[in-house]
Amino acid sequence: MSLIIDLVLAAGLVVLAWQTLISRDLFRGLVMFVVFGLTLAMSWARLGSADLAMAEAAIGTGVTGAMLMLAYWRLRRNVPAAAEEREPGRPLLAATVGVLSALVVAAIGLASLEVLGPGGMAGHALYEALPETGVGNPITGVLIIFRNLDTLLEVAVLLAAFVGARAAIGEDSAALPLPPAQDAPLVGALVSVLVPLGLLVALYLFKAGSQDPGGAFQAGAMLAALAVVLTLAGRVRQTPQTGLWTGFALIVGTVVFTVIGVGMMALGAPLLAIPGMWAVYLIEAAMMISIGITLALLFAGSAGLGLRGRR
Amino acid sequence: MNHPEIWIMAAAAIFGISVYALIVRTHLLRQLLALKVMGNAAFLVLVVGAGTVNGLLDGIPKALVLTGIVIAISAIGFALAVLVRLAEVTGSVDLDEDPSDQEPARDTNDPRDGDGHAG
Repeated sequence: MSLIIDLVLAAGLVVLAWQTLISRDLFRGLVMFVVFGLTLAMSWARLGSADLAMAEAAIGTGVTGAMLMLAYWRLRRNVPAAAEEREPGRPLLAATVGVLSALVVAAIGLASLEVLGPGGMAGHALYEALPETGVGNPITGVLIIFRNLDTLLEVAVLLAAFVGARAAIGEDSAALPLPPAQDAPLVGALVSVLVPLGLLVALYLFKAGSQDPGGAFQAGAMLAALAVVLTLAGRVRQTPQTGLWTGFALIVGTVVFTVIGVGMMALGAPLLAIPGMWAVYLIEAAMMISIGITLALLFAGSAGLGLRGRR
Repeated sequence: MNHPEIWIMAAAAIFGISVYALIVRTHLLRQLLALKVMGNAAFLVLVVGAGTVNGLLDGIPKALVLTGIVIAISAIGFALAVLVRLAEVTGSVDLDEDPSDQEPARDTNDPRDGDGHAG
């Protein structure tokens, strides 16, 4: 029985990847990409990793899918010709290269299953060292304590992507405005239910992250999703300048992480040593805010977001 | 996780499809999709291939993949901004821009050609 579930999910992933990339209509490809991503999220859950399932569903599929569809909509509206796609050729060479690369990946993957060493690997060390830190979720432990330089640079990359996107779009770009919000009667009711509920989920994910599946990234993605909903419903409008609070929220993750990491060095500890659970919560909260606002602004393509009707 | 081979084979197939699509599809949005799907296949191989510790998937590659998912959305957000801007400036985001390939009639007479590259 369990084999059947694995087979159905894995085969579904392959078929959906084909549909995403080879289907004729570009928009159909985008929709299939979202279905592919949600199936992948279910596969992560099936493989026993709730953290990855949530991250894939929220960040890799949810916010990414919204960004892709908005970009497609902007192409359709601003440059209709650019939204058209040519019929792909079917060169034999490309198929050969595709099959060969699949074989290489299969060889690497199957070989890595064979070479599992005895004890002493980093994975075992992680589970041995984790109880001393007070963090119960091994992934949060790796992200915030054991390999936190990766995480710090990751937040910095997100910030760099936002700055780069701003530079690419420019302030005069016609790309900016979003679809006009229609005052459909159900939208208001939906927003008034979804937003508080989403806020609750985000706070829970943040709070749970140190012991159970969850964490700053999933919570931040949830906040970004709320901003996407509010923007599309017309409750929040794009602003041409980054306000003081928005700017603060953008950098607070990087700044708090760096200050704690370097401050510990001043006290004689190694660089980026984490002094205790309070620091874990502080860093996660700051990162959650930064991730949420950065993803929301990357989606909106604007320098800032403000309440509608206020200038 | 009783059957890691299934997931490895699926990831390999998805990777092959992505490489194929990256070669035959010329629209940049579709190529972006191909890169993202290819990355997901790599994530699957990374996590499943690392094997288990105490009966659970190893936590370290899971954390690496979580980082990778966020890096991927950063790259996509930046790439989409560039893509939309590119479309506004040049009028096309299709790499296969030579009209003589498939539609020789449009080669010289289409005024859009001139406009498209001037902006």
